[in-house]
Amino acid sequence: MPNRWRTIPFLLSFIIQSLAAPQSFENTAIVRSVELGGVAVHVTTTFAIKALEPGAKVYTIALGRQEKEKTSWFEVKVKGQQNPLLISEHPYAYESTRNYHLVDVTLPRPLTANGTLNIVLEAVQTHATTPWPTTASQKEDQALKFTADLLVLSPYHTLVQRTKLKALTPRLISFTIPKEVQDFMPDTPASKSGATVTYGPFNDIPPSANENFIAAYQQPVTIHYFHEQPVLEILKLTRSAEISHWGANLNIQDDIQLHNAGPALKGHFSRLDHQSQAFYKKPAPHALPALTLHLPSGIRNAYYYDLIGNVSTSRLRVAPSPPKNSKTKQYSVLELRPRYPIMGGWNYTFTLGWDAPLADSANWDHATGKYMVEIPIMTPITGAVVNNAEVKIILPEGATDVEFTPPFSALENRVSTHVTYLDTTGRPTLTFEYKDLTVMHAQSIFVSYKVSLSAHLKKPVAVATAFFSLFAFALLGRRINLTIHKNKVL
Amino acid sequence: MPEAYPLPSNLSSATVTNTASLLRIVTLALISGAAIASRLFAVINFESIIHEFDPWFNYRATRVLATKGFYEFWNWFDPTAWYPLGRVVGGTVYPGLMATSGVIYNLLHALNLPVDIRNVCVLLAPGFSALTAWATYMFTKEMKDPSAGLLAAAFIGIVPGYISRSVAGSYDNEAIAIFLLMFTFYCWIKALKQGSALFGTVAAVFYFYMVAAWGGYVFITNMIPLHALVLILMGRFSNRLYAAYSSWYAIGTLASMQVPFVGFQPVKTSEHMAALAVFGLLQIVAFAQLVRSHVSSQQFQKLLFIGVVAIGILGAAAFGIMTLKGWIAPWTGRFYSLWDTGYAKKYIPIIASVSEHQPTAWPSFFMDLQFLIFLFPAGVVVCFRQLRDEHLFVIIYAVMASYFAGVMVRLMLTLTPVVCVASAVALSTLLDTYIDPTEPEINDDTVSESGASTASAPAPGANGTSHPTTPKKTKKAVPPPQSTSALGQIIAASRSSNNKPRPKGIFGADTRLMVVFNAMCLLAFFVFHCTWVTSSAYSSPSVVLASTNPDGSQHIIDDFREAYYWLRQNTQEDSVVLSWWDYGYQIAGMADRPTLVDNNTWNNTHIATVGKVMASSEEVAYPILRKHDVQYILVIFGGLLGYSGDDINKFLWMVRIAQGIWPDEVQEPSFFTPRGEYKVDDQASPTMRNSMMYKMSYYRFAELFGGNAATDRVRQQQLPKVGPTLDYVDEAFTSENWIVRIYEVKKEDPLGRDHKSANAFSQGKKRKRTKPAQRRRAIL
Repeated sequence: MPNRWRTIPFLLSFIIQSLAAPQSFENTAIVRSVELGGVAVHVTTTFAIKALEPGAKVYTIALGRQEKEKTSWFEVKVKGQQNPLLISEHPYAYESTRNYHLVDVTLPRPLTANGTLNIVLEAVQTHATTPWPTTASQKEDQALKFTADLLVLSPYHTLVQRTKLKALTPRLISFTIPKEVQDFMPDTPASKSGATVTYGPFNDIPPSANENFIAAYQQPVTIHYFHEQPVLEILKLTRSAEISHWGANLNIQDDIQLHNAGPALKGHFSRLDHQSQAFYKKPAPHALPALTLHLPSGIRNAYYYDLIGNVSTSRLRVAPSPPKNSKTKQYSVLELRPRYPIMGGWNYTFTLGWDAPLADSANWDHATGKYMVEIPIMTPITGAVVNNAEVKIILPEGATDVEFTPPFSALENRVSTHVTYLDTTGRPTLTFEYKDLTVMHAQSIFVSYKVSLSAHLKKPVAVATAFFSLFAFALLGRRINLTIHKNKVL
Repeated sequence: MPEAYPLPSNLSSATVTNTASLLRIVTLALISGAAIASRLFAVINFESIIHEFDPWFNYRATRVLATKGFYEFWNWFDPTAWYPLGRVVGGTVYPGLMATSGVIYNLLHALNLPVDIRNVCVLLAPGFSALTAWATYMFTKEMKDPSAGLLAAAFIGIVPGYISRSVAGSYDNEAIAIFLLMFTFYCWIKALKQGSALFGTVAAVFYFYMVAAWGGYVFITNMIPLHALVLILMGRFSNRLYAAYSSWYAIGTLASMQVPFVGFQPVKTSEHMAALAVFGLLQIVAFAQLVRSHVSSQQFQKLLFIGVVAIGILGAAAFGIMTLKGWIAPWTGRFYSLWDTGYAKKYIPIIASVSEHQPTAWPSFFMDLQFLIFLFPAGVVVCFRQLRDEHLFVIIYAVMASYFAGVMVRLMLTLTPVVCVASAVALSTLLDTYIDPTEPEINDDTVSESGASTASAPAPGANGTSHPTTPKKTKKAVPPPQSTSALGQIIAASRSSNNKPRPKGIFGADTRLMVVFNAMCLLAFFVFHCTWVTSSAYSSPSVVLASTNPDGSQHIIDDFREAYYWLRQNTQEDSVVLSWWDYGYQIAGMADRPTLVDNNTWNNTHIATVGKVMASSEEVAYPILRKHDVQYILVIFGGLLGYSGDDINKFLWMVRIAQGIWPDEVQEPSFFTPRGEYKVDDQASPTMRNSMMYKMSYYRFAELFGGNAATDRVRQQQLPKVGPTLDYVDEAFTSENWIVRIYEVKKEDPLGRDHKSANAFSQGKKRKRTKPAQRRRAIL
């Protein structure tokens, strides 16, 4: 039943975009620039649009099928402005054979006829690169392959578009020279300058968000490049944030499964080679000897351990807590060294946790009597992607009227009860599950709840009662004589 | 009676009793606190971690028990140990320790205190040491009085001889066994004194707990019968002895047979026969007593003579026949090694290879017991002064434990409690004598002037003490041992009017002050010594090594865990790891991988196989490795860092153990230089240089020195410039300081060649290119 309801807007929007939208805009220029990286690739596409009709307010962006599947985060802004525009995705269905996906963007104000606007689509693709060759020995370089569609699709007519692929180093191994694009471009379709490969400009492209065009002209282009940072992914991140009002404490603990997704180590690890590489300051590009993490300021009691105990090879520089309402953000810097350097294909699991003053992230609202707490979803690790994340927020015992505002919707969220130190009824717990988180996702969940005075006092009362009954029992026990007959004095 | 110093005389008897009782409780609580706190050095200096080797197995088993429940643990078959044999853990383990932690863990979780099982395990030993202090207090109270008890509790709380086995993280059977030992003995003494079947039963229950917890229970099994036997031989047979022993033996033995690992041993092995024999003897003696009360003396003597001869012959014959028939197992090798210290080295090198099975060095007595070691004989002599039944127990215990402690370092642990008890008795007697303010009478006719004593009823209890009577007193300025000795004085005070002033004694306060001050100094130095020994010698986890940075901060060398964690994270879950047996439990616990041999050294042949692999050349070792599905070989190498507990230093034991099984293939002398030295440098014997152990330890080690002479810092020898090469194994991982080196065993060559010629072939091509150049150089 719900399916049918869902299909109606889908059909409606389909009709709207296929009938109304194509006429209303024209792309004067599209520039897509791709910053090649490890697991995460940033794609910034700038559309210079021109309204063909007055009052056009909804602009439609098209993404290729592959692109859509790899994109884990995207945002549309007017160029030069901070606030993202409102977007509504057309329902995306895997089973449909459509090779494109449409997104409607509501412009900040309707454009007049021939009115122009530059809008920017920022997207992060995850797991878009593959190591090639798939194995590398300790002394070899690390090379990755990235594949993208040649043309940016659009339901509108496009005057000119180009795609730039930027690697971090100018050392490129190869890139695809596209064929059969003479319709849009007379001479060489691809050129390299420095670390950048440019495809295009392609001129005068008809509305391309349809199957015919895709079948005729769309083609993948692949770039093969050296990458000098280790390619990291976090297979699973389990964060639990525990709020304690008695201790004025916010404890955050991350269980992390780290994996080096770069080329697998060929042969074996030689400590001698590793040490001589470190000595000559030429570390292997796919080895990860240490990580730098930015933890919140003002934290205490940071701990870092794994399944077999404390890891003593890390350093933490704590920044003091910022004064309330100050805008400057400071970070405590943790230099985290795994037990062993993580070579390509190796795994490492560990637990990292800390206590933070609750005042830094919580507020009490006098008007409603509610607490408002800000819980960051993740601590970003530069260049790494979190494949699966579970964020657990453990509220104080007896919290009621729980409301939460996530920055983006979770795959799944649920409410459960967590029983821990000397609890009687357990603590309400919110759990959020996410997939493919990137640096862009490092935002916060806001949770608000009420805790009554009686709930605050629940634990001391329970503990006091237990001790009181113990002493009372002992008091009685001492005074009752259970001997059957009088013993002789010994 | 003249007094050396004044005492308050206006205190009521009840006030004194209550104050003494409160002081006793507070003192015991403080002693417990000190006992626990002094064991936490390891946690503070390092972390909450399980120490050494055996505790890792106990910890792993406890985790199974805590997560999967008791029945699962009981039926646990561990396929990863002793690959490919496996080990029935539930039936080959003393489960008392794990069960104790499991109960504590579940109790805490039932109270919603989600404490990690590791922390329960780490802190179990310190917790039980507090209980040991209490049990020792109870035991010594029976020997002398509560003041001696408190001294003994304080001694056992901080004495290094016990701390060595019970620091936080030393999660071994001994952690709870000493408490059980002392408490069983206490119950036994109590049962014997009162003739109480109840205390006999309590002793039996704790004996059962002890059997479930530690193999050393045999010590109780033989101590109590020995005590009973000595009592009978001294003509001290009584119904109290009969009731106590019979209830303890019958219930204790039946209960102990419930432990699967013990099973029918209590009726089948020679170690347990003494208890059975004494039990039989007691029945006969009791029967004889009964007969004597019914027949005349002359008839009884005849009867006795015939009976004793007949029973003696019958018993000896039965024992001999049963031993011959195999119904009673003969003494085990470990038992023989207790009588002949050279026995193990000759016949069971595996026992001799363990450092804690070596005979005790003389300085370690002083290190572990400090001034207690010379107070101890004095305490034993004090026991002779009264020689009640329980004093006999201490004397026998002292003699036996002293002998055993001399034979094996490890058994120092059983000596420690009796040393504490005897020393406490001696010191308490000394303090009683010198703190007692009563001055000796020169004139016999003087009437006692002591106004302090109020009670006059004589109480001829069992707690009579040998020191002169003292009026009660509680003085704030006096340190705890003295103030608690007030209790003994109170008891004595109640009888004081019955006592005659003594002609012997001490005059004046100065004499007293001198002796007491000296004793206090001894006690103070003892505390310093204990703290120092504990922090410097006994608080290292041995999994983690510590060194100091140039700036004085602590630097942790964590190579073991680095390598184990690498194994755990980056190898197949079923890869078999071969290492010397010392590291078996650690690999199973930290790396979670199957091992060939581990610290439960039950299969000598299997261990010898590993020894042979290490001692043989690659060609010989390879088929053995492949047959055992070995994928990784782990060796410990300290040459870079100067870590002396490495495998090259243990290598001769591997050779000896392998030689025991394959005397034709492995020979110890061939590992020495012609001059009989054990060397790893240029002069090392060819057998040594071709052995797997040597090759794996020094593989590519010389390259680390970049052309300079490579030095092994443990053995202080220079290694050859060209290091060994390996054909059949690949280096897989080496830890940061090269302490742990892991090698992967190659699969068979796909072309069916042996690896040596395969390697020669692939290198031969390279050599062709380089050879001419070398030749030319040679010609020039």
